[in-house]
Amino acid sequence: MSATVALALVVWLSLIAAAILILNRARLWTVGQPVPVDWASGFKALPRRYLVDVHHIVARDRQASRMHMLVAGGLVAGSALAALGIVPPLGHARFYWALVALIFAIMLAGGFLVGRRRYPVKPPRLSGGTFQRLPFLLTGYALGAFLVALSAAIGPLPALGWAGLVLAAVGGFGLALQLGQGPMRHAVTGALHLVAHPRPGRFEGKRETALAPLNLNEPKLGIETPADFGWNRLLSFDACIQCGRCEVACPAFAAGQPLNPKKLIQDLAAALAPGNDAAYAGRGYPNAPDVAGVGSPHGAIIGADAMIHPDTLWSCTTCRACVEECPMTIEHVDAIMGLRRFQTLERGAVPEKAELPLSDLRGADEPGGRALARRTDFAAGMDLPVLSEDGETDVLLWLGEGAYDLRVGRTLRALVKLLTLAGVDFAVLGAKERDTGDLARRLGDEATFQRLARDNIATLGRHRFRRILTADPHVLHALRNEYPAFGGSYEVIHHTAFLDELVAAGRLKLAAAPIAAGASVTYHDPCYLGRYNGETEAPRRLLDRLGLARVEMERHGRRSMCCGGGGGAPVSDIPGERRIPDIRMAQARATGAKIVAVACPTCTGMLEGVTGERPEVLDVAELLLRAVEGAA
Amino acid sequence: MIANAEALLKPLTIKGLTIRNRVMSTSHAPGYGKDGKPQERYQLYHEEKAKGGIGLTMFGGSSSVALDSPAAPWNQISVADDSVVPFFREFSDRIHRHGAKLMIQLTHMGRRTKWDTENWFPTVAPSPRREPASRTIPKEAEDEDIARIVAGFAQAVRRCKEGGLDGCEISGAHGHLLDQFWSPSVNARTDRYGGSLENRMRFGIEVLEAMRAEVGDDYVIGMRMSGDELIADGLTQEDQIAIAVEYSRRGLVDFINVLGGHARDHIAHAISLPNMAFPVAPFLYLPSAIKREVDVPVFHAQRVTDLATAARAVTEGHVDMIAMTRAHIADPHLVRKLQEGRADDIRQCIGAGYCIDRIYVGGDALCIQNAATGREATMPHVIARAEKPRKVVVVGGGPGGLEAARVAAARGHSVVLFEKERLAGGQINIAAKATWREALSGIPRWLHAQAAKNGADLRLGTEATEGAIMAEAPDVVIVATGGLPSLGHAKGAEHAISTWDVLTGTVEPTGSVLLFDEMGQHNAASTAETLAKRGCLVEIVTHDRMVGEEIGTTNQPIHLRELYKLGVVMTPNMDLIEIYPEGNRLIVALRNTYTDAEEERVVDRVIVERGTLPVDALYTSLKARSVNGGQVDQDAIVAGRPQPWPDGDGFALYRVGDALAGRNIHAALYDSLRLCKDL
Repeated sequence: MSATVALALVVWLSLIAAAILILNRARLWTVGQPVPVDWASGFKALPRRYLVDVHHIVARDRQASRMHMLVAGGLVAGSALAALGIVPPLGHARFYWALVALIFAIMLAGGFLVGRRRYPVKPPRLSGGTFQRLPFLLTGYALGAFLVALSAAIGPLPALGWAGLVLAAVGGFGLALQLGQGPMRHAVTGALHLVAHPRPGRFEGKRETALAPLNLNEPKLGIETPADFGWNRLLSFDACIQCGRCEVACPAFAAGQPLNPKKLIQDLAAALAPGNDAAYAGRGYPNAPDVAGVGSPHGAIIGADAMIHPDTLWSCTTCRACVEECPMTIEHVDAIMGLRRFQTLERGAVPEKAELPLSDLRGADEPGGRALARRTDFAAGMDLPVLSEDGETDVLLWLGEGAYDLRVGRTLRALVKLLTLAGVDFAVLGAKERDTGDLARRLGDEATFQRLARDNIATLGRHRFRRILTADPHVLHALRNEYPAFGGSYEVIHHTAFLDELVAAGRLKLAAAPIAAGASVTYHDPCYLGRYNGETEAPRRLLDRLGLARVEMERHGRRSMCCGGGGGAPVSDIPGERRIPDIRMAQARATGAKIVAVACPTCTGMLEGVTGERPEVLDVAELLLRAVEGAA
Repeated sequence: MIANAEALLKPLTIKGLTIRNRVMSTSHAPGYGKDGKPQERYQLYHEEKAKGGIGLTMFGGSSSVALDSPAAPWNQISVADDSVVPFFREFSDRIHRHGAKLMIQLTHMGRRTKWDTENWFPTVAPSPRREPASRTIPKEAEDEDIARIVAGFAQAVRRCKEGGLDGCEISGAHGHLLDQFWSPSVNARTDRYGGSLENRMRFGIEVLEAMRAEVGDDYVIGMRMSGDELIADGLTQEDQIAIAVEYSRRGLVDFINVLGGHARDHIAHAISLPNMAFPVAPFLYLPSAIKREVDVPVFHAQRVTDLATAARAVTEGHVDMIAMTRAHIADPHLVRKLQEGRADDIRQCIGAGYCIDRIYVGGDALCIQNAATGREATMPHVIARAEKPRKVVVVGGGPGGLEAARVAAARGHSVVLFEKERLAGGQINIAAKATWREALSGIPRWLHAQAAKNGADLRLGTEATEGAIMAEAPDVVIVATGGLPSLGHAKGAEHAISTWDVLTGTVEPTGSVLLFDEMGQHNAASTAETLAKRGCLVEIVTHDRMVGEEIGTTNQPIHLRELYKLGVVMTPNMDLIEIYPEGNRLIVALRNTYTDAEEERVVDRVIVERGTLPVDALYTSLKARSVNGGQVDQDAIVAGRPQPWPDGDGFALYRVGDALAGRNIHAALYDSLRLCKDL
């Protein structure tokens, strides 16, 4: 037996070992809930999902992308070719082995990059432990296989060949053994996850960000144990490669709150085994209270005696930055929301400060317990048409919770003024507008959300309008993306896009001179507008029309950083070391901009709450009004 | 952020009328009426508040409904004939354009007015009892008078409605005919209008019923009244609550506008218009007590100078609307600034009473710290940017200099201000050291903050020299170096010290002190009070007919009250002839201004208050080099035109404030505002 045949055997044996291990692991997923998966179209779409969608994310880190392309490409192509080495005519073809050698040489280069990434200093976002052995296994396997192939290509050089084989065998088996628990698992689970992805729409150009409605008649509401997740969610947790991109993007983690999306996913995966987090060698949840740290497929996930402390759950702002960054397309926020639903609906265990707004939402349809009729107080003295029972309007202006707030009232007054100046046919619902239920939903109170959604849909159904306009991206998301599941489908537009339309159509005349000479502006993307709805351009277009010098923060657009105000985080109020808006404002300050343009009432409130010297926080509508009034 | 600010920004609906927020200005008499009509100046003054976001602005304090309650004494409004209606229409359109509401006060002043103006009818009252303040002995109202006046109210409210006003109130406060009937101290009648409270309330009920009959139940009609007259024989709090309950129970009034006190004499008048000696909102408990008993909204005004107090009054449920009348004279854009998150930019009323004190001597209401109020036709409340930026150097950080820096910087000019003291404010800082005059310090505090915010380079603790000024290569130099106290020219004047020496602490007099006052203003009175409180035996001597003769009617009684309490000897009608030392004491020779009789005093200190003389050395040295010889073109400034800019290189030089001649704070601010708004 030649070394080349032995190499092929090593590859085959490794594959068999890997298959056994992965099947063994896959057996665990079956405790999950059955989920219908369109396998055929999933497999068909896999190459595109991997090569386009995943690559698009991976390529944000150029070095990682290069590394992965070389090492993964080399590993798959080299191993596949080497495995075919048992086929006789190929086994003796020098040219063939030269090709194999070349491919493993490429993989070897990738292996060195893997090493350089982790040595001499491992970046903190990367996990250690078995991951630190990965470069050695990869380079060992690649170098060994390269030597075997080289010996066959230029040889025969049996001594070199057999020496290489030993190296290749150690590396190859080492890698195979990582399939069950180690870093290499992601190669298979990642591909499977792409095939059986719970949100296939995101690969078809859709911003598939709406939460799935919960059937309130289920015997158990929300997710208590790993077994309560859909099976493909369990699969998705196993796809995590612990690259830590989510960790870096997470605003709660940055603020020192006890949330780390990477650790969360790892805990969910570890709980399935059953097991604990002993093997985890990345950063933990900052300042998290102690927990037992054990889990099992049918054991509770959340709790001091379980895997994850509830504070971790409630630290999330649902900003989706982790999801946006995840190269394995894991849906962290869905997992958190499922867990929150159980805590709220089954255990009533919402954070203390969230109890009052939720109870007000239930009793008064408004999280502040204020009279619905007072929602229009902000516009007293202005001409704000209220839609009568049998009235009709082109644009229905949905005011949202911000209308009760003094600061946001200013934004809304600017918007109303602009609509009036542009001659827009618009009206509000007045006292008939209830809260959309966004806060209830993010806090896990799906029952209250669904009740409010149905009530609002019934109200909207009684009125005639063409589209809904709102200055609140959370409202936009609920009405546009989450109400259709309850039978309410509307054309919903954010005020930045709408105002951009008005200016483009010449219905609002702008001053020739910039609002404030020399003033520069940086635009802060609201998560629920940018990441949730993909709208990052209209507000920028509008700002550019105003003639302000626009500068970007490092994190902007779909990769923007949260203000800290989403997901009920301000009412959950989980302590950290810093405040998220302070971190974001520091980023804005670093641009040197005099103005932070915002487009969301929550962002406005969070950023304006930052003390000390800072840029002025102004809604895009306020800036536009200044430009329009400057023209008058 | 102001606590509970949102409580102020809630609309209030009265019948069909929705007022956009809870902040209002009560009816008052700014003296802007012309021929008994609210004409352009009057309307612009209120329009500025409407622009500034106010919910309800009420005008026409004591607008008359009958010829024997003349409009003339305070240049007020006469609603006694239809000729006023077109003015109302124009006025209400102007206010409604900005989303605010407009109401008027209708009244018959009864005995509280003059008989010797306009129509020369005697005043009328329930009984012929003289009012000290108005000095009239009224005619006892006959039934025919009552019927005529009731009909007058009804016709007047019709004119209000036709003029598009959103409503009106009738006045039963400050001792007008309505409350003259209520009060047993004025009403000694034995007929159906006198005797029991029920009878005493009858006149008002007839008035309101006639008004309702004329305009219907939908038109908003309120009533202003005192919550407690606070005088020995006046209406008590119980009486006033009973009246409020009865009128509102009958559905005659849609709101009750409550104040504290009365105005029948000097001190009552001063208490009902509390100045800076009072705490803020001193009488809030009175509307609060009435609000507990009635179902209609309750309004209140009385030294609510800041939004935090206003918000507290509303949010705690003491009142439904809070009136910030003088606060709006200081800053008509108060509500807008709150709404825009610029509450720090609000120019807060300091309670100097300058506005109202001017009215009671027949003048027009002007704000001590805002020279644009009442001059809206010519003076801007919001400064527009200049087309051409200039370099402006201001010398002096008193009110005139700070205003110049504030306005010039808001115009977009590059401004450098030199002030040799470490604290800006000039003479105000000295005046503010005198007991309750402390609130004056609010004036420079705001000016300073605004000038700095507008980007002026304020070099405090830095004395200006010719070299330092020239080093800035200025286009404009504004000398606001103020003045220094004059010791006068009497023989031995050098033995006297000034009031400044006392207030700044340069000299700390003890023992007996003679304070000679030539000015009749706050300066001497407040210095005397300060000295007396420090234990000095004080005699204040003046050549005027009384001490503090020039001090206005809301301030003079407070000064006199304090001086009496402290045992200060007040000696009017005496001139200071000579001062000479004898031993370690001083002899002061005084001469009676009428009899020429001379007297002497032996005292430890002689202090004189003779106003200031300009500090003009720097001006004089710069004058020859300036392009305009240091002169303001008076024709241009009065016409509101920019100052002419003579050809040639160099700078224009102007003097403002006491650096020209010793005057007052308002004069200094006005000098600077009207100069710099066109710079």
